[in-house]
Amino acid sequence: MTGMRDHLDRLRENDTVVEISELVHWDGVAEAVAAEATRHGCPVIRFTETPGIARLASGVYGGPDQFSTGGKEPWDRIDLALGRLSDGSYVDLLDQLARWDPDPIDSRMVAEPDATVRHGIDLYDLGLPVTRDGVPLISLGVLAVEADDTTTWAPIAGRRRRSTELELSVPRAFAEWCPPEADASVLLGVPAAALLAALQGWTQGQPTPDVPALAAGLGDDPLSTVGERTVPATAEVRIDGQLTVLDQHVNNTQDVADAKNRSATADYSMSETTRRGAAWETGCKTAIVSLRTTAIATREKPTVPFSPDGEPLADDIHLACLAEAAKLFRRVNNYWGVSPVQWIQLPVEGRLGLCIVSSEILYAGFEWQLANTLFSFSDLFDKVLVIGEQADPTDLARAIDDMWVKAHPANDWVFSESNAPSAAAPIYRDKEPGSRLYINATWDPRWDEEYIAPRVTMETAFSDSVLASLADRWDEFGLDNAIRPDRLDDHE
Amino acid sequence: MTVDSLREYLGILETRGDLHRIGAPASWNLEASAVTLLLNQADGDVPLFEDVNTARLVGDPYRGSQRRPWDRIALGIGLPRDLSYEEYYESVIERLKDPIEPRTVSAADAPCKQRVQTGDDIDLLEYPWPYIHAGDGGRYSNLHTLIAPDPDSEWVDWSYHRSMIHDGETASVLLLAGEQTPNLYYYKYERRDEPMPVALAVGVEPAVQYTSVMWIPTGRNEAEYAGGLKREPVDLVPCETNDLMVPANTELVIEGEILPNERRDEGPFGDYFGYMHGPRRSMPLFRVTGITSREDPIIPFCVEGTGVGETENATSSLEVGCVGPDATLGLRTAGFDVECCAPWKSTPRTVYVISTETTDPSYLHDMANFIFTTWGMLHVDFFVFVDDDVDPLNQRAVIEALALHADPEADFHQFGVETMPKVPLNIYQTPTEKGNIQTGTSKAKTAKTYINATSDGDIDHDDSPPDVDQRCRAQQILERAGVEMDDILFAETEVKR
Repeated sequence: MTGMRDHLDRLRENDTVVEISELVHWDGVAEAVAAEATRHGCPVIRFTETPGIARLASGVYGGPDQFSTGGKEPWDRIDLALGRLSDGSYVDLLDQLARWDPDPIDSRMVAEPDATVRHGIDLYDLGLPVTRDGVPLISLGVLAVEADDTTTWAPIAGRRRRSTELELSVPRAFAEWCPPEADASVLLGVPAAALLAALQGWTQGQPTPDVPALAAGLGDDPLSTVGERTVPATAEVRIDGQLTVLDQHVNNTQDVADAKNRSATADYSMSETTRRGAAWETGCKTAIVSLRTTAIATREKPTVPFSPDGEPLADDIHLACLAEAAKLFRRVNNYWGVSPVQWIQLPVEGRLGLCIVSSEILYAGFEWQLANTLFSFSDLFDKVLVIGEQADPTDLARAIDDMWVKAHPANDWVFSESNAPSAAAPIYRDKEPGSRLYINATWDPRWDEEYIAPRVTMETAFSDSVLASLADRWDEFGLDNAIRPDRLDDHE
Repeated sequence: MTVDSLREYLGILETRGDLHRIGAPASWNLEASAVTLLLNQADGDVPLFEDVNTARLVGDPYRGSQRRPWDRIALGIGLPRDLSYEEYYESVIERLKDPIEPRTVSAADAPCKQRVQTGDDIDLLEYPWPYIHAGDGGRYSNLHTLIAPDPDSEWVDWSYHRSMIHDGETASVLLLAGEQTPNLYYYKYERRDEPMPVALAVGVEPAVQYTSVMWIPTGRNEAEYAGGLKREPVDLVPCETNDLMVPANTELVIEGEILPNERRDEGPFGDYFGYMHGPRRSMPLFRVTGITSREDPIIPFCVEGTGVGETENATSSLEVGCVGPDATLGLRTAGFDVECCAPWKSTPRTVYVISTETTDPSYLHDMANFIFTTWGMLHVDFFVFVDDDVDPLNQRAVIEALALHADPEADFHQFGVETMPKVPLNIYQTPTEKGNIQTGTSKAKTAKTYINATSDGDIDHDDSPPDVDQRCRAQQILERAGVEMDDILFAETEVKR
C-alpha cells in the first residue's frame, strides 16, 4: 500500500528518523552505525551521503524493544508500511497477515516500473551495504523469477558480491521450484507487503509460489512487468540477470560449513553460533543461487533499506517474528472449530526462540493442547508461554511478569519428555533431541472464582466515583503539570 | 551533599522539578493513592499532598523511571542521578563496605520529638493513613522502618513490614517467618511469651529507608550501614516508652510492642506482584505506647501493585536501587564470582538475574542454593544466570538469553520439586494451600528454581570480535546526527564490558 519512499516520508511524520548527512561508507561502516542504532532506541537511520548510487536506510521495519518504551510498539513501522494507522491494534495487524488471502493482480499492473535501467554501472557502483566481511546486506529485498507462467518472489540473504554477480541464499523449496537457470530480478526497496508475502510463500511449510497475489492481498501496491516477471513497480533498485541454482541442499550450520569447504571463493555467513545470516533463514532449509547481472535499474536517488547482520531488534527479525506469529494465529484459530486464541507473538526480544499466546482456556488441559499444537506448527522455538485472554499484546512486561508470578514453579512449568527435536532458534550445546517447555500462566479453570486475584489497575483499585472525582478535581490538583509528557519523551 | 531527612530529600526533588505539591485538600480514602497511581503510570512527578487532615502524605517518593529506577534513590544519598547502573551499583557497594557509626543526640536536638504523645493522648487515627486500593483490608502504613531488637544480643533489626491500622492504638503487622524480624518474634519473643518492643519509624531519612529494605546480615548494626550510605553518621535518639533508638530526623515514630499470641486480621492487599492477594489472615498485634513526630509530619506511602510491567513505584525502585547492590555485595562477600545481581525490573522480589563469568553448572547450583537458603528464601522463586557481558537490568537481553540459551532439557533446575517454603503473598497457590498458619508462611511448599541462561561459551566470539573502535566511531556518528548523549554514555559502558 506504500512504496519505500512513501514509507520513509510517513516515518518522518510519525517516528524518529535520524538523518546522517556526513559521509558514511557502505563498506561495513553503515552496518556498524545501524547496529549501534538498534542498541540505542532503534531510530530509523537515513544515510544521505554514501559513496554509491544508492542511499541507505536502516530500521525502517524495526523498532525498540517493548521493555524500554512506553508508547511505541515493535510492529508500528511495519503497520505503517502496510498503510495502516500507526496506532492500529496488534490483533488487527495479525488478522490482516493471517488472512492469507491472495488477490488478483491484474488490476494492479501499471505500464512501467519506476526504476529505469542505468547503463555503465555495476554492483560496486550501486553501493549496496555490506558487512565488514564483505557480505551484502540485502535481506530486505526479494528475488523475482518466472516459471510456467507464474512469477514468484522469494526472500533472499546476501552471501557474496562481485561487480557483476550476486550470490544469494534462498529457501531450498524455492530453489527446487525454480528452473536451474532462469532470468530473474533482485528487487530492493520494495513494499513491506512484498517482503512479508515472500516469507509467507516460501518459509512457512507448504510453498505458495504465487507470492505477488499474496502480496496483493496485503496491500494495493502497483505492479509492473520486466521480461516475463511481475515485479513491484515502486522498487527502488532492480538488478536483472541470469539466475543459476548453485546448490539446492545447503542447510544451516553444517551444510553451510560444508558449502564453505566446497567453494573457496564463496563467503557464506550463516552461522548458528553467531546468529549471523538473515532471520528468515532460521529454521528454513536454504540453497545458494547466483545472479549474473545483465542490467541495473534504479529510481531517481534510490533508497535501499538494510538490516544489520545478526543484531537484536534488526528489521529482518521483526518481519520474521510477525510472519511466523501470523501463520500460527491462522492455523490455531482454524484448528478446533472455535477461535479461543486472542493473539500470538514471537516477541522480537526473544529472537524467534519464544512464543507467547494469549488464549481463553476452554477446559482443563487446553493449555497443554494449545502449547503442543504450536510446537507442532513451528520448529523455531522450544518455549511457549500461555497467558490469559485478557492480556494486552502491547504489554510484554506484564506478560513476562505473569510467567514469573502467576505460573506455579512446581506445577505450571511443564517440560516434555526428552525426545523432542531441537528447535531452530535456540543455541543448544548439543543437537540431541531434548525437551520443550510450556509455561501455563493462566488461571486454572477448575479454581473457584474467589481464588482469582484481580490485577491492581486504576479500574480495579478505584471505584467509578473515585475516578470521576479525580477527573473533576484534575485542574484543582494541577495534574497536567505533574505528568510532564516531556519526561516520557526523554525516556524513549 | 548529605541528605538528612525525608523533607530535605523532597526539597531536592522539588529543586529538580520532580515534586508536585497539591495544596488542595485531598482525602486519604483512595484519592491520594489514585493520584499517585496515575503519576506512577505516567512517570510523572512525586505528589506531596499538603492538606490531608493533620499530616501530609507523599506518594511513592523514591519511584524512578523503569529505564533508570535508581535515579531518585541516588539523589537520596548524594549521588548524581545520571550514573550508569554499573557506576551506581559499584558506588553503593563501596559505601556499604565502609560503614559509619551512628551518633546519639538528645531529645531536644531530635526533630522527631517536636510532638510527643503518650498514654491517653495516643490516637493512631489522628493521622491520615491511606486507604490505598479498594478491596484492601484496611488503611496501611507501608513505607516505613520497623525497628525491633534481638532479646539475646545488642543487635537491632531494621525492616519494613507493612502494618494495617485497626483503631486508635493497635495495628496488625505482616510478619512472615523466615525473615529476620518475624523470626525474632515467632521463635524468641512469642515462645517466651514476651512482647517484642518495636518502633515504627515513618518517614525516615533516605539512607535509613534504603538500609531497611536491604538484607543486612544478622548481628550487624544497620545504622552503621545507613551511615555508610550517606557518608555521615545517622543521628539516633531514644524512644519515650521503650529502650529502642530511632532515627532522630524521622517524621513520625510510633512506639509500641508486638504482643505474643495476639492476632488481628490483616489483608487482603494489592501487593508487589501486581495483584490483590488474599485471603484475609491473622497477623501479630502491634499495640502503640507512644507517638512522637515532627511538626506537620509527612507520611510516605507506596501504591503497591503498581511497580510492575512498565510502571515503577517506590518499592520496585528500591528493590533495584538498594537490594540489587546489596545482594551483589553479599554474593561477592560469600566468595561467588558475580558481576551483578539485580531484580527483574518489571516484577521485583520474585525473580533475580545474576551475571557471572563462571558458568560451570555445579557452581551455579551451589550459588542458587546459597541464595535460596539465605536472603532469597521466601519471596524469590527464580534466579536466572546470564553471561557476564549481559546486563541483568536489560530485560531485552535477558529474555534473549532465556529464549536462546536456556535449554529446557538441561538448564531449568528444581522445577517441580515442591519442597521449599513460600510466603502467602503469591497468587499461584490456592487459599487452601496458603492456609493461615501461625508463623505466616504458606501451608503448602513450593519450588525454588534457577535457570542457566548462560551461553556456556557457545557464542563464537572469535567470529565476531567486538570492534571497539568501530563501535565508538559509529556512536560518534550517531551523536553528531543528534542521538541523545545519554544513550552514548550507556553504549560506552557496554563497550567497556
